[in-house]
Amino acid sequence: MKITLNWLKQYVDFTGTPEDLAERLTMLGVEVEGIQKLGGEFEGIVVAQVITRDKHPNADKLSICRVNDGTGERQIVCGAQNFQAGDKVPLILPGAALPAKPGEAPFTIKVGKIRGVESQGMMCSPQELGLASDADGLLILDPAAKVGQPFAEHLGRSGSDVVYDLEITPNRPDLNSVIGIAREIAAVTGNSLRLPVIASLPQGEDVLGLAKITIEDPLLCPRYTARVIRGVKIGPSPAWLKSTLEKVGLRSLNNVVDITNFVLLEIGQPLHAFDFANLTDHTIVVRRATEGEKFTTLDGIERTLNSQNLLIADATRGVALAGVMGGLNSEISAQTVDVLLESATFQPQNIRATSKKLELRSDASYRFERGADIGICDWASRRATQLIVEIAGGTPVAGVIDLYPTPAAPKKIILRHGRTDALLGMPIDASVQDQFLRQLGLEVVPGTDSSEVTIPSFRIDLKSEIDLIEEVARIYGIDKIPSTPPRGAIGTHKYDQTYDHLNEVRRTLIALGLTEAQGQTLIGVESAKLAVIDPAQVQMLANPLSSDMDALRPSVLPGLIDSLSHNSRQFQTDTALFEIGRVFVKSGTTVTEELRLGIALTGRRSPIFWSGEERDASLDIYDLKGTLEELFDAIGLRGCSVTRREGLPAGLYLEAASIGLGKQTVGEFGQLIPALAKKADVRGAVFLAELNLGLILSRRNSARSFKALQAFPTIRRDIAMVVPETTSHEAVLNLTRQLKLANLDKVELFDIYRGQGVAEGAKSMAYAFTYRHAERTLTDTEVNAAHDKLVQELQGKIGATLR
Amino acid sequence: MSFLDQLEPVREAALKSFAEAADLAALDNARAQSLGINGAFTALLKQLSQLPKEEKPAAGKRLNETKNILEAALAERRGTLELSASLPKIATDFSLPGRRRTAGHQHPLTQVTDDIVKSFRKLGFVVADGPEIEDDHHCFDALNTPADHPARDLQDTFYLAGGSRSLLRTHTSSVQIRVMEKQPPPIRIIVPGRVYRRDNADATHNPTFHQIEGLYVDKNVTVSDLKGTVEFVFKQLLGDEVKLRFRPHYFSYTEPSYEIDFSSALVRKMGKDWLEIAGCGMVHPQVFKNVGYDPEVWTGWAFGFGIERIAMIRYGITDIRMFYQNDVRFLSQF
Repeated sequence: MKITLNWLKQYVDFTGTPEDLAERLTMLGVEVEGIQKLGGEFEGIVVAQVITRDKHPNADKLSICRVNDGTGERQIVCGAQNFQAGDKVPLILPGAALPAKPGEAPFTIKVGKIRGVESQGMMCSPQELGLASDADGLLILDPAAKVGQPFAEHLGRSGSDVVYDLEITPNRPDLNSVIGIAREIAAVTGNSLRLPVIASLPQGEDVLGLAKITIEDPLLCPRYTARVIRGVKIGPSPAWLKSTLEKVGLRSLNNVVDITNFVLLEIGQPLHAFDFANLTDHTIVVRRATEGEKFTTLDGIERTLNSQNLLIADATRGVALAGVMGGLNSEISAQTVDVLLESATFQPQNIRATSKKLELRSDASYRFERGADIGICDWASRRATQLIVEIAGGTPVAGVIDLYPTPAAPKKIILRHGRTDALLGMPIDASVQDQFLRQLGLEVVPGTDSSEVTIPSFRIDLKSEIDLIEEVARIYGIDKIPSTPPRGAIGTHKYDQTYDHLNEVRRTLIALGLTEAQGQTLIGVESAKLAVIDPAQVQMLANPLSSDMDALRPSVLPGLIDSLSHNSRQFQTDTALFEIGRVFVKSGTTVTEELRLGIALTGRRSPIFWSGEERDASLDIYDLKGTLEELFDAIGLRGCSVTRREGLPAGLYLEAASIGLGKQTVGEFGQLIPALAKKADVRGAVFLAELNLGLILSRRNSARSFKALQAFPTIRRDIAMVVPETTSHEAVLNLTRQLKLANLDKVELFDIYRGQGVAEGAKSMAYAFTYRHAERTLTDTEVNAAHDKLVQELQGKIGATLR
Repeated sequence: MSFLDQLEPVREAALKSFAEAADLAALDNARAQSLGINGAFTALLKQLSQLPKEEKPAAGKRLNETKNILEAALAERRGTLELSASLPKIATDFSLPGRRRTAGHQHPLTQVTDDIVKSFRKLGFVVADGPEIEDDHHCFDALNTPADHPARDLQDTFYLAGGSRSLLRTHTSSVQIRVMEKQPPPIRIIVPGRVYRRDNADATHNPTFHQIEGLYVDKNVTVSDLKGTVEFVFKQLLGDEVKLRFRPHYFSYTEPSYEIDFSSALVRKMGKDWLEIAGCGMVHPQVFKNVGYDPEVWTGWAFGFGIERIAMIRYGITDIRMFYQNDVRFLSQF
């Protein structure tokens, strides 16, 4: 909301600078989002009167004028045609500058010769003064204008002003008004609040005989007041009113409408003026619209209503959308003579729903949906009536129609002063607390240890004791409350440990050369479905922003593939990423949140180097598996099994294996289907893994115990053997394990060979077997006994032929 | 020429030939010429036995001394020549690039989160979490934000398809409720996590972003405690010279509520006096009632802020979307 300093000062004194005021407001909880200084723009421009006008000897279209600037006469050469001697016009004196248009440097007027005749200043058009976007000729002022008066003063923009743009929090609808802000300033400075004095209006019941008002739905319209003013003269607003509205960003329309807007901004109560003649039967019915009822609002748009929308109607048709916008059929026009002035209160929820449904927002709906002050309806109506009489003439019809079936009882709250002290952590005198509340316009009756506080109707946000404590703290000033060092209990929560375990996983993977990624939770349904076995596992959004973000990710892999894709398009083809994040798996009507670790690798194994056989080697599936093995070691995860997924490529994977832990499957890894990689603009092979981190961390084992360092030499025996292609490394290990060979310490595979010397369908595998005894040096005889048995078994059980 | 007069030239010649030997082969040759079986020095040694008996001890001593000198000179020269022989044939070019290993990087959001968590943990806070799929109750109602409250207007919410009214949490504050429902006071938790708002992605918005939330509930918890803790954490995070100010504000679940602005050299460099960084306040008694805590016994405070915002300020990042693109050129800067 915008307000100006000069306007504010009509209601409360403030002696500091404009910046001081901004600071005070900010520290009261009214954030100042912008400060714009006005004025000075018409400096050096005065009201002047043309005394004579003569033709320029050297130019047909120019005239030479004698002009009175209030201090004396000067000669002005002028090109305009729309004036004559006697007219009063704005005159800019030499040395002064015309108001600059945005982005342009100001234009300074100098004494100079125009076609050989000296001109000592310039008479101005509205366009040159920035008052209109286009204009023919000079701005001719009111004949009553005072010659020599500074032009700014003449406009009612007395000197400079400051426009503040305020952010009003939704709990404080009372601050959506100049008087509301003034009240805050009064409270914090202790200066008194000056409300405008309204001369008494004619009393009586005449209005009751003139207009008839019915509220059909008092729940949606708890109060409706109406006054009638007859014989008004619709016309432009006076300069002060126009400029007041323009400074805060409102367009001036005509005097009556401007007055309703002025009062809206002044006190926060939305008003609506109807052309009384256009109200059929001079009747107002506040009713719900019928389903499908058509209504054209002031902006000329025909809207289709339903029974949830509250309508202000006359005897036959809607005339205003209650609390939101007036109707085209009853708006104030140049022909309007009699005005019915509405000042009412509507239910916030209903206005909000209507405004949202119709996508129609107005200053009125903004205030009603936040909660207008039901107690101010009549005051606002009288204030506007007074201004209409003053500005637009007319006579108020005696009396007011004020339908207020269930007047709100004033709310009373007990404030225990000790409670304030306990919450703030410091004592504030009870009398000082009470005084702060009084300064805010609250009524306070002190008792023992507590006070009874009566809440005025404009403070709908004050509902309980804590709200009063906040008010005390606010006026006292948060900056005066001391800071005390942290103290107290130690927290507990089971997730605390998980947080550390996740960081351990991150550290391990980063040490292995992977970079951490963070992907979008919301992804497109098509890529989501590719990452799950059953498309029904994908949970959709009811109200997505776009089709590429319409599903909750069931896997972190689509996001990682997107990231590889992004990098590839930026010519980063060597990328190793991991992400730890939540995924969402739907099963029936429930959606489970799972913590997952995803890994995606592509490109070269090592950064570029200038030597070595393998320098350009690309990553392969064993790089990924090695990374997983290192990770499992680091977190003490033992006994993982890997099972190849049989069958055709499916989902994301060309070839894949699942990772088992006991009876549970904890993850999967493999190679991305090349066509999908290509679709993502990634040229090289992409390797993916995804693990259920919750399951893995539940099996994490950080227990470590020291093992004595080997003191005795080991004996190594190598075996190179030809086995059928189908013989797996795991089969060799299983066999070895079953034999429980004495002193066997380590089994390491160090070569696999296919090709010359090895038959088709077979492969050569070379193993190093290391024997060791903890307490003594082994003898060859001991080792040979074990090793011979091993060789025998390998030949017998898996059909190995020694090379 | 006496016997001893012959010794001097032999010694000088041998030392000279050792010093002049350019490589190990030349040195071996020089050695043969002096100390070898047919060498000049060996020849003198052989003459010793023929000397008169009274001259023998003096001559023997001189010969011995000379032999030691020659052998020492030979060993030294050999050491020098062996050292140069072990140099590689082509001198190493130390200007060539080294063999690099790929270094991984932690995501900047994780780093910032972890720094925040660390400073809270120094104060006895523990990390808590809660579901990202929430219901109206935990996300709004229990936090004193009724369905038609205009405060809900401040945040537009994603709902799940299927009509269950399940939603993606709009703030981590829902975890306050989850934790308080399960645990009796006192509470001292910090909650980092993802939250969702229905904002189109632009330089300052992403539908997904991260918040971190602190909650402290105990007897006699005061606004002073809140200020003290916030000041501690932000000094840890942004440096000791950072200045903080508290500005009254409105959140439905705290009362009084404040926004926290900070000021530092960095903020001034951005041409501003203050930069908004967090919201906080004393837990609203109604929130305590909603979780079954007695607000007459327990008081508490909560505060929360956006992690992306802190990271953007800390590193001078200008577009929030970069956090989610995972461009390695971006990630490897942190």
